[in-house]
Amino acid sequence: MAAWIEILMILLILLDMVLPGLSRLSACVRAAALQGVLLGVLTLLANFDALTPRVAVLAGLSMAVKGFLFPVLLERAMKGAGVRKEVEPFVGYVTSIAACVAMLAVSLLLGQRLPLPDGGQGMPLAVPAAIMTMLTGLFIVVSRRKAVSQVVGYLTFENGIYAFGVVAVGEVNALVELGVLLDIFVAVFVMGIAIYQINREFDHIDADHLSMLRG
Amino acid sequence: MKMEIEVLFWTLLLLPAAGGAVSASLGNRRLMLGVLIASVAAWSAAVAAACARVGELGSVEAASSWLRLDALSAWHLAVMALICLLSTCYARVYFGEEMDRGGFPARQARQFCLLWGGTLSAMTLVLVSNNLGIMWVGVESTTLLTAFLICLHLSKPSIEATWKYILICSVGVGFAFMGTLLMAVSAKGTALSPEEALLWTRLWEGAAKLDPVWAKAGFIFLAVGYGTKAGLAPMHNWLPDAHSQAPAPVSAIFSGFMLNAALYCVMRHVPVLEAVPGCEGFATGLLRGFGILSILVAAVFIVFQHDLKRLLAYHSVEHMGIIALGLGLGGLGTFAALFHTVNHSVCKTLSFFAAGRLGQMYGTHDMAGMRGAMKVSPLWGAGIFGSILALIGVAPFALFMSEFLLLKAAIDSGSAVSAVLFLAGGAVVFMAALGHAIPLAWGGGEQRAGRRAGVLEAVLVVLPMAILLGLGIWMPDMLEAAISQAAGVVGGVRAFGLAGAQGGAR
Amino acid sequence: MNPDAIANVAMGLALAPLLFGVINRVKAVFAGRRGQPLLQPYFDVVKLLGKGAVYSRTTTWVFRAGPVVGLASALAALCVVPFGGERALIGFEGDLLLFAGLFGLMRFFTVCAALDTGSAFEGMGASREVQFSALAEPALLLGLAAAARRTGCMSLSGLFEEASGMDPAAALPVFSLAAMAVFIVFLCENARIPVDDPNTHLELTMIHEVMVLDHSGPDFAFITYGAAVKMWVLGALFAGLAVPFRTGIHWLDAALAVAFMFAVAAATGVVESTMARLRLLRVPHLLAGACALSAVAYVLLLR
Repeated sequence: MAAWIEILMILLILLDMVLPGLSRLSACVRAAALQGVLLGVLTLLANFDALTPRVAVLAGLSMAVKGFLFPVLLERAMKGAGVRKEVEPFVGYVTSIAACVAMLAVSLLLGQRLPLPDGGQGMPLAVPAAIMTMLTGLFIVVSRRKAVSQVVGYLTFENGIYAFGVVAVGEVNALVELGVLLDIFVAVFVMGIAIYQINREFDHIDADHLSMLRG
Repeated sequence: MKMEIEVLFWTLLLLPAAGGAVSASLGNRRLMLGVLIASVAAWSAAVAAACARVGELGSVEAASSWLRLDALSAWHLAVMALICLLSTCYARVYFGEEMDRGGFPARQARQFCLLWGGTLSAMTLVLVSNNLGIMWVGVESTTLLTAFLICLHLSKPSIEATWKYILICSVGVGFAFMGTLLMAVSAKGTALSPEEALLWTRLWEGAAKLDPVWAKAGFIFLAVGYGTKAGLAPMHNWLPDAHSQAPAPVSAIFSGFMLNAALYCVMRHVPVLEAVPGCEGFATGLLRGFGILSILVAAVFIVFQHDLKRLLAYHSVEHMGIIALGLGLGGLGTFAALFHTVNHSVCKTLSFFAAGRLGQMYGTHDMAGMRGAMKVSPLWGAGIFGSILALIGVAPFALFMSEFLLLKAAIDSGSAVSAVLFLAGGAVVFMAALGHAIPLAWGGGEQRAGRRAGVLEAVLVVLPMAILLGLGIWMPDMLEAAISQAAGVVGGVRAFGLAGAQGGAR
Repeated sequence: MNPDAIANVAMGLALAPLLFGVINRVKAVFAGRRGQPLLQPYFDVVKLLGKGAVYSRTTTWVFRAGPVVGLASALAALCVVPFGGERALIGFEGDLLLFAGLFGLMRFFTVCAALDTGSAFEGMGASREVQFSALAEPALLLGLAAAARRTGCMSLSGLFEEASGMDPAAALPVFSLAAMAVFIVFLCENARIPVDDPNTHLELTMIHEVMVLDHSGPDFAFITYGAAVKMWVLGALFAGLAVPFRTGIHWLDAALAVAFMFAVAAATGVVESTMARLRLLRVPHLLAGACALSAVAYVLLLR
């Protein structure tokens, strides 16, 4: 099973590398959603030996929310705001790719420095992939102009934390997981409304134009 | 007895949200705010009952120890009840003025009541939950619920502030969740199951066996994450924007309690980390660093501030830094920090009340356009001037006492660098803020006729002032015992006698 | 000399132009046309060989050397690449570098020949070709290096042999990443969409085709045939990386490999029919992506 989790982790890393390179907003949203679905599969795989209905339901729920509900919410926000479809990054594409490779190296290094107390169960890539996903999310948040892309960055960041939770911590209480899922859901919902309002007041959603408040 | 405590906990958690929902369903705007005040007052009574229980029993638990109140959380809960009760009453005054001018439509009133009640419930959840995961859920919920309180009055700057607030705080608080998970990972080698590792009491008991590397990594993430929400520099960028754009009652609970709630989450983890072998002094060192940086950064920004509410916001950064510094010093410093919590919250609430009302009278928050507040409204002019004096640590006020204790703690513990930097920051703030405050109170220029203040307004100024002056001169034994116990939870000296320190002060 | 390896080379020589035929047929089917005969590329080569060449008075021997060296390099590469579970005709430690170097040599002479004409269009095509291959080459080399590190063999033949015995789950990550990178290089080196459009009639948008505009007769036959062989060689490399597993039955492996080659050709045809050519400025992005894939494959092994 560990080998398959490794492959899943590589897919996660690949999606991280693809995300900053996508030029269409909706493609970014879909890539983040795909990541959410992968994480659901990861939950199932990580608990494969002792698959309880609770785990299955939670994994299914998180897949449904991240894979289906979020894209729908964000697409609606984009449509409502009449967003132009390009991402318009601050940081160019090739630089982004180079940054991704650098981030991967950093996360591998960190993964080496922080060995899991139980030896990682033969999954040497698990922690680096989670850290890489978090870093990618942060990178997207700071390097993108559009509010929607920043939400995608936030989601990616949360995906990384979730991945870390699944592989490193294991089973946390269902109530906590539900609470976290609900919070992230509401966060995206709230951000969607905020995007709508930004668009109504400013006629665009370029977050770099949000610069009236300084000092 | 057991049942009673369960009921008490659920009342604490649900009453504000229910009160908000009920008041939002009413038709009359003034009635809505009235019902909201009544529900918050009832909730405050429940808080008082809960605090009394904690005083009797030391700590109380419910819901199979998922909910728990001990001296530290009870202390914060009491501060929160005071601040929220004052702020809700003030909301009636503030929005009453808007209603008189034809503003504040029913839609906004409904939005305000719902979100206000929800925010109070979420902040209570942060304080009463023993499960660190649920605590995180509470913090993130406060972020999301308060987001639309900032842009209650839709405008470009307020939406900008909302966006920055949601994004920076959500990402920041995400770091804190990572930190929580890392702490759980550090318990992996021990007998604790992952579920138990999230319960604070279990984690604290088993702290001696935690993996130090992971625990340290976890605390860094926690300090950065919750520190973002608490407005510690350098993660404070959202704070001046949100505080300056939100309506005054909202700014008041932001500064008066939401920041403290986030810092409380950091405090919770300090004793755990101090008990991990190989991590002694790590958490406190980190907090000292954040504290001093916040004080210095805030000092620089205060010098060049033009906007009154932004000025107050940077004062919040400074005072959060002071509290963090106190926690970092430990011992007497922890005591001083917790004492400073109530002083700062009361004082900052008063100053935002005054800033909000004066802003309504002048129609601006730019200090260039707000001169001679004493003549425009003697009550609120005195309020703003008095609270700024208190904020910068002028002698008879309680903030002077707590800052003095903190300085003593710094010198006693031999960290002269902290003491010097703290004094330097304080001195800069003192001069800069006084330079802003004197023209604000007495400066000449165009004067508008203020309205006569009502009784409720007078109470809202006099009561906090009385608390600040009273605590500065005399500290009741009960309060001292309560703070000592709370400091004991964080890891200070349990039975610390203030009398000795006060003797030294005079 | 291994007779099977010689047979493989002979098969490559014989079947290479058919790949173009398959691609064209797939594209025709997608467009709803009947399309040219499958064997049209062979007819073209034969026809061109029977014609005379025209040389501009401004060109030198470099212009004439281009097609010959190009074909020679492609044939040499065909001898180095293993096919269908069989070792290559020539194999030694480090032939990975020779493999990449042969493509470099081919490109160098094609570009020189193009510059030798002094035509503005050909110079433009040369400049683009060099720019893109500057990005494609590291992707290819890094991908091969990752595969080599995974298996511990510096020779293509040894590498594939080693990989065929590995545990699928262990080999999959590195090999699939390297294979993806090589597929992008495959599209780029063979001047296919989305990098270059082989069917375009506008010199301004051409890359590869514009460089060979001035070649005619047998020279152009060499170029066409060389391009086919090059496609076969890169396809074989991709096939080896993407499906490193072998049944162990000799004829079945060979048949499967040939089938895979034509499947790749068909896939290329599908890509060409469904995608538009990338904007010239976006092509480096695609190639940088290929480099990144190879880099990830390599970095994963560094742990």
